[in-house]
Parts: sequence; structure tokens; C-alpha cells
Amino acid sequence: MLKDINLTLEKGKIYGLIGRNGAGKTTLLSIMSAQNPASEGTVTWNGENVWENRKALDHICFSRELSINLYGSGVSGMKVKDYLKTASYYYPNWDQALAEELIKKFELNTKQRINKMSKGMLSMVTIIVALASKADFTFMDEPVAGLDVVMRDYFYHKLMEEYTETGRTFVISTHIIEEATDLMEEVVMIKNGEVLLKENTQELLERSYHVSGLAEVVDQATEGYERHHEEKMGRSKSVTILLEEGQKLPEGYDVTIQPLNLEKLFVSLCGMEE
Amino acid sequence: MNEILTQEKSIYLQIAEMIETDILRDILLEEERVPSTNELAKLYAINPATAAKGVNILVDEGVLYKKRGIGMFVSAGAKEAILSRRKNEFYDNYVKKLLEEAASIGLGKEEVIQLIQSGNEA
Repeated sequence: MLKDINLTLEKGKIYGLIGRNGAGKTTLLSIMSAQNPASEGTVTWNGENVWENRKALDHICFSRELSINLYGSGVSGMKVKDYLKTASYYYPNWDQALAEELIKKFELNTKQRINKMSKGMLSMVTIIVALASKADFTFMDEPVAGLDVVMRDYFYHKLMEEYTETGRTFVISTHIIEEATDLMEEVVMIKNGEVLLKENTQELLERSYHVSGLAEVVDQATEGYERHHEEKMGRSKSVTILLEEGQKLPEGYDVTIQPLNLEKLFVSLCGMEE
Repeated sequence: MNEILTQEKSIYLQIAEMIETDILRDILLEEERVPSTNELAKLYAINPATAAKGVNILVDEGVLYKKRGIGMFVSAGAKEAILSRRKNEFYDNYVKKLLEEAASIGLGKEEVIQLIQSGNEA
């Protein structure tokens, strides 16, 4: 599923992990946190292999998306408070006060069983585990899935509070790219199991542009640029360009040049072929 | 027709401006059919009523006209009309703002004129 992944996460950064459904985001996060074995290659923390390495894993938290089954077996049948209790045993730096604060803010009934919860409530539980774990490296898999806009906004603020106070490293996957763009210091884009790019978010956006106009003029204007996602309609055409270092925007052509946001850039680079 | 819509301005105004720009660039020619509101809706993933609002601005201005049962067409002389209107608006939309910014940073009209004449060399 994953191919040729070579990724280094620096301490104290927030990474946004974006990719389409099935691109390999969850697989990557679970391998990096040693919840699943890698068929090839290694994952290291401070130079130590993390696999079955308790000391390393004390510093890594992957709060998985909770899935429920009809039979209420396994995690599914657990009450929220028991699930959180188990997590508190597992993570040595567990912050019970923070967990309780979040339970209150989310208005969660901790006596409820996991398989009786809505999608948004399940996300809340995974957020509580991730934040209260206090792990140096915390990976979150679509933490805002199913959350309403008020709760998402609360989560982004709480995450930044935690981050600015502790300098923990976060990797957060999301499909709501626009909302999270300003939170991510770096963006890791994965496509078909490969890392397509890993780059400072603002620097990436500053070199991404959408050029449109009469097809021939667009072709002339963008010659020699890294081009993606050409779209034609009648006599007009658009193309995404990524400026390389030292390269300037085309000048002197009657074309429209617009900056791209991360979501539009993502669709350009990872979207469906025409 | 291939520009991206932004949050900075009403969508219907952007639709109208985009069609105008396409006419200026000879992407849409006079007496040629323009995309229908349903086609615009599909293209930009916007509500057809919003697309129609943008198209209707251009109909009111005489840039587009309706052929019953066939669709919207670019009027003869549309390009010339858009050009002359944009020229009229040029002072308000660009020059005025330029002079306002110049004034706020202490640049006089004469200095602005000089900058325009000499480019960035001065």
C-alpha cells in the first residue's frame, strides 16, 4: 500500500497530512506509531527502532478513528469512561484534568457505550485521547470528521493552546483542508501510497498559481514552468503552475493569474484526471 | 471561463466579469452562444440561480442577448462596449485607489506620474 516512504518529522511542528480516500494516510500513521508492522523499512524515534520498544512508544500516540460494530464486541462495547481509563494506563504522561475538561466541553456522557455514539461523538473521544496523552509525537486521523462547525472551531483553538504551551509534535490528517491550512506548519501530501510533497505550507502556497485565458496565450505564458492539471474549455484553458526557486510569474501576457489555496492546489495535484 | 472563483467578491459578479474578460480575450466571440446557466452551475459547482444573476447583469447591459429557446449569445459590438465601459471605470477602480495609497504614504501626484513614466528605475 505504501511505497518508498522517506519521511522525517521534526520535533515541535504541526504537520498536516492530506491525501484522498485510500491514499494511505491511516496506514502511514499506524506504521509510524508501531500499531501495524511495516512490511519493509523501519521507523525510528531518536535513532531507536520503535517496534516493540516501550520507551519509544511512551512518546508516540496515535489516536485511531473509532469504528463501531453492531455486536458491541471489543472497544465497541466499552463505556467511554472505561475506554479513557485504558488509555490513561497506556500513556505515562496522561493528563486527567485535561481529559475531564474536554469531556465537559464536549458534553459527553461517559457512561455511554461507544457503539451507541454518533460519528461526531466518536471523534470527540479520539481527540480527548490524543490531547490528554501528552505524547511528544501525537498523530490524529481525521479528528474533526463528523464534528459540527462550532466543535471544529473549538478543537482548532484547543489544539493551538496545547501546541503553544507544550511544543508537542502533531500530525493531523484531514479532509477539511481549508479550515486547517493555517494550523499546519508543513503539509505532507500523499498520493497512491507515496509522499508527493512535504513542504512548508506558506512557501508552497506562495509558489502555486492558477493561470487562465485564451489557450494559446496560456501555453506561451506557462512554457518552462512546472505545470499541472490542465483544463480546456472551448478556446480557453487553465493550468496550475508551481514556481521553482528564483522563478518569477509570467509577465506581459493577457492571462489571469490567481493564487491557489491549499484545497484547490490539492485537487490540482491529486484530483481526478479529465 | 477557466478562472477560479474566490471568496472576495459575490459569485454572480465574478461570473459576469469572467464572461466579459473572455469576450475581451476572444475566448467568446460576438454572435456566439455562451454557456447556459446550467452549464455554468456544473462548471463552477454553484447554484444555477446565482449563475443566472451574473448572466442577467450582462443581458441588462446589452453585452449578451437571449434567443428564445436556444440560449444566450454575445451581442454584436459587445467587445467595444465592454472596453469603453471599463475605460470609463478605470479612474474609479484603479487611478483613484492608486492616488489614495500614494497620498497615505506621502507620495504626491507629480511623483506618481514620474514613477509611471520611469518604471521602477527611479
